Amino acid sequence: MNMLLEADHVKKTYRLGRVDVPVLRGASITVGEGEWVAIVGSSGSGKSTLLHLLGGLDRADADSGPVRFGGEELNRFGARRENRYRNRDVGFVFQFYHLLPELTVLENAMLPALVGLSRLRWISERSALRKRAAELLETCGLSHRLGHRPAELSGGERQRVAIARALINRPRVLLADEPTGNLDIHTGGGILDLLAERHAAGLTMVMVTHDAAVAARAQRQVRIVDGRVQ
Amino acid sequence: MYAPLLANRYLTSRIIPFIAVAAVALCVALVIVVVSVMSGFLEMVRASGKTMTGDVVVTRPITGIPYYQDLIKEIESLPEAAAASPIVETFGLLQMQYGTGDGGKQIEMVEVWGIDPASLDRVADYSRKLYWSRPADAALAAMAPDDPLRNPFYHREADGMRLATADGRPGLVLGIEISPFNRRGRDGAYRTSQAPGAPQDADYFMPNAGKVILTLVPVSEGGSLGGERKRDFTVVNEFQSGLFQIDANRILLPLPVAQEMLRLDAAPMVSRTEFDEDGRPKVIGETPGRATTIVVRARPGVAAPALRDAVRGAYARFHERISLDRSMPVNPPFPDLVSIETWEERLSDFIGPVEKERELMRTLFSIVYIVCAGLVLAIFWSIVQEKTRDIGILRAVGASRTGVLWIFLRYGLLIGIAGSIVGVLLAWAIIARINDIHNLLGTAAPAWLRILAWVATAAMLGLTVRGTLRASALHVVLWGFGTAAMAVVSVVLLHHEGFLIWDPSVYYFSRIPDSLDWHTAWTTMAGGIVFSVIGASVPAARAADTDPVKSLRYE
Repeated sequence: MNMLLEADHVKKTYRLGRVDVPVLRGASITVGEGEWVAIVGSSGSGKSTLLHLLGGLDRADADSGPVRFGGEELNRFGARRENRYRNRDVGFVFQFYHLLPELTVLENAMLPALVGLSRLRWISERSALRKRAAELLETCGLSHRLGHRPAELSGGERQRVAIARALINRPRVLLADEPTGNLDIHTGGGILDLLAERHAAGLTMVMVTHDAAVAARAQRQVRIVDGRVQ
Repeated sequence: MYAPLLANRYLTSRIIPFIAVAAVALCVALVIVVVSVMSGFLEMVRASGKTMTGDVVVTRPITGIPYYQDLIKEIESLPEAAAASPIVETFGLLQMQYGTGDGGKQIEMVEVWGIDPASLDRVADYSRKLYWSRPADAALAAMAPDDPLRNPFYHREADGMRLATADGRPGLVLGIEISPFNRRGRDGAYRTSQAPGAPQDADYFMPNAGKVILTLVPVSEGGSLGGERKRDFTVVNEFQSGLFQIDANRILLPLPVAQEMLRLDAAPMVSRTEFDEDGRPKVIGETPGRATTIVVRARPGVAAPALRDAVRGAYARFHERISLDRSMPVNPPFPDLVSIETWEERLSDFIGPVEKERELMRTLFSIVYIVCAGLVLAIFWSIVQEKTRDIGILRAVGASRTGVLWIFLRYGLLIGIAGSIVGVLLAWAIIARINDIHNLLGTAAPAWLRILAWVATAAMLGLTVRGTLRASALHVVLWGFGTAAMAVVSVVLLHHEGFLIWDPSVYYFSRIPDSLDWHTAWTTMAGGIVFSVIGASVPAARAADTDPVKSLRYE
């Protein structure tokens, strides 16, 4: 199995006022291509921070070990490559969905593709993109909700839109931060089924959860305690 | 591609952008209305300054210019000049008998112009200034039913052009604001009546029965005063130049009569040393008639300064020719002693300050641009604050800092464009109707409006009570303020008997300028857009700097 994502003794410290708060104290993780890894741990253990570092949303400390994607070090990315990494290589699913309220379901699902397209390419690829977003939403069970706004959807439906959004650019890895943390057991189960389908189709996934039952759906669990992987 | 989509959605799906658009629109409209009125005032001053003076004025006060007919021929032969007309200018006392039944009389100090109506008409459209004339058919159709000018009785243009009564006696034409019985209505038409608001009454129509006495005092070349000359006149018409200062002070009479009264007419010249058989001084020639002023109209396309220079040359040639001619017993004044100015130069003391005031207004109101930028900045700052999470999402899905920056700059640009367009339309609507608005303020509110105001007050009070019963602080505050505001409006309407801000006696003109200054409109519009973008740039930069992790960490 090829290594896709790797964090090697990464450190991250946040500064709260005058106090430095170390969150990650040399955490290491490897994720192979096509693997489904669950990062588990108690609240405040640093699992979301590790996910953000893996997704290029945040940068590790200067004395930290590297975070690599396909052999490339994320810390060496320039602004343009970093944007492309977030846009093309990874897809994010958040606990609180984070959909844009002014956009429709279809537009929310298309958002990363819109970010990556110039006006000219948008004109030429518009139809294909709409079709792909509609198909994705259909597989997520939302074909009847394309023109609705997020406020008109249930929690489970919103998370399905977020998953479709994360997948629109066909990323190599899906990063999910507590994807069922805000949902009831039944709805959360449906979301995990959807993710499992994607994984079965070959998608690499890293999922952060504090729920052992949810983590059990993954192929492998990585426990993080006090900023270190055990 | 996401930037235009989001900018458009942010603009159309929320109330805050409309507040920003309204703020920009009000700023833009404010500047345009104020500067347009100032510009219109300036243009009216310019246009009216030219009224009855043509493009260039040749002046030699008191003693006048002899052989002025020769000078006029010289001037009219210039390729730059279209026509010239002689005038005798002086001041006099006008005694009016008002016919009030109590023998009341009033004496006014007036500016007296002796004119030649035919040539003045060619120079300054004199006939069009005569108020009591038959209007054009289109204007007639638009007039109020009670407008006196609908009645042929009031059409006195023939007498005005002759400056004489029907039986050939010399007549006077008064400025329309001189007679206290001429009352200007809200429709701009004059009606004659003894009391304000009374119906039209021909008894107070000066060209019908106006007898006046004019007193002039001739002044000799040496500066000594001659004996006063008093003469009865019949008023044959009244003129309206549009400039209150002129309309309230100037009277017109036939040039020969003015020359005669001021001793500026042709007269025998006698010898001091030779006497005839009867022992009287011997007549050795004739002193020519004089005009104190010659007004000149430029040919179309000729600028006033070019005509002025040509007239100066013509006067120099005229002076040289007459001075060298031994048959002419009197020499014209030296060119240096004669004032030859364009109408603008003649009125520079009046036009200059108005121009400065307009520029001052324009400069002071530029501060509004900063207000506009500040409003957009404050509103956008709150939008960015509220949209932090959205910005975090955009950054998380790969949007660049420049892309996020552009969303809000584009947003500011759209608000600037929308606000500026609305502002220009608002200003145009106000300017076009500014006299109607002013007249509305000047009249007591109609009963239906007063009742409507009180009904609205009662309705808002009801909504305030409902808000109280439902324990909604927002409704109580909003409707409470609404009730208080409407109550004040209702009370004001109840006691409002009308007030006029634009006093013609102060501002010279009877109407507020009502044409939009398009140059100002375009520049203000551009300023509104630019400063909206500037105002948006600071919050946009803040948005671009948003850290996706911080913005997404907490719900």
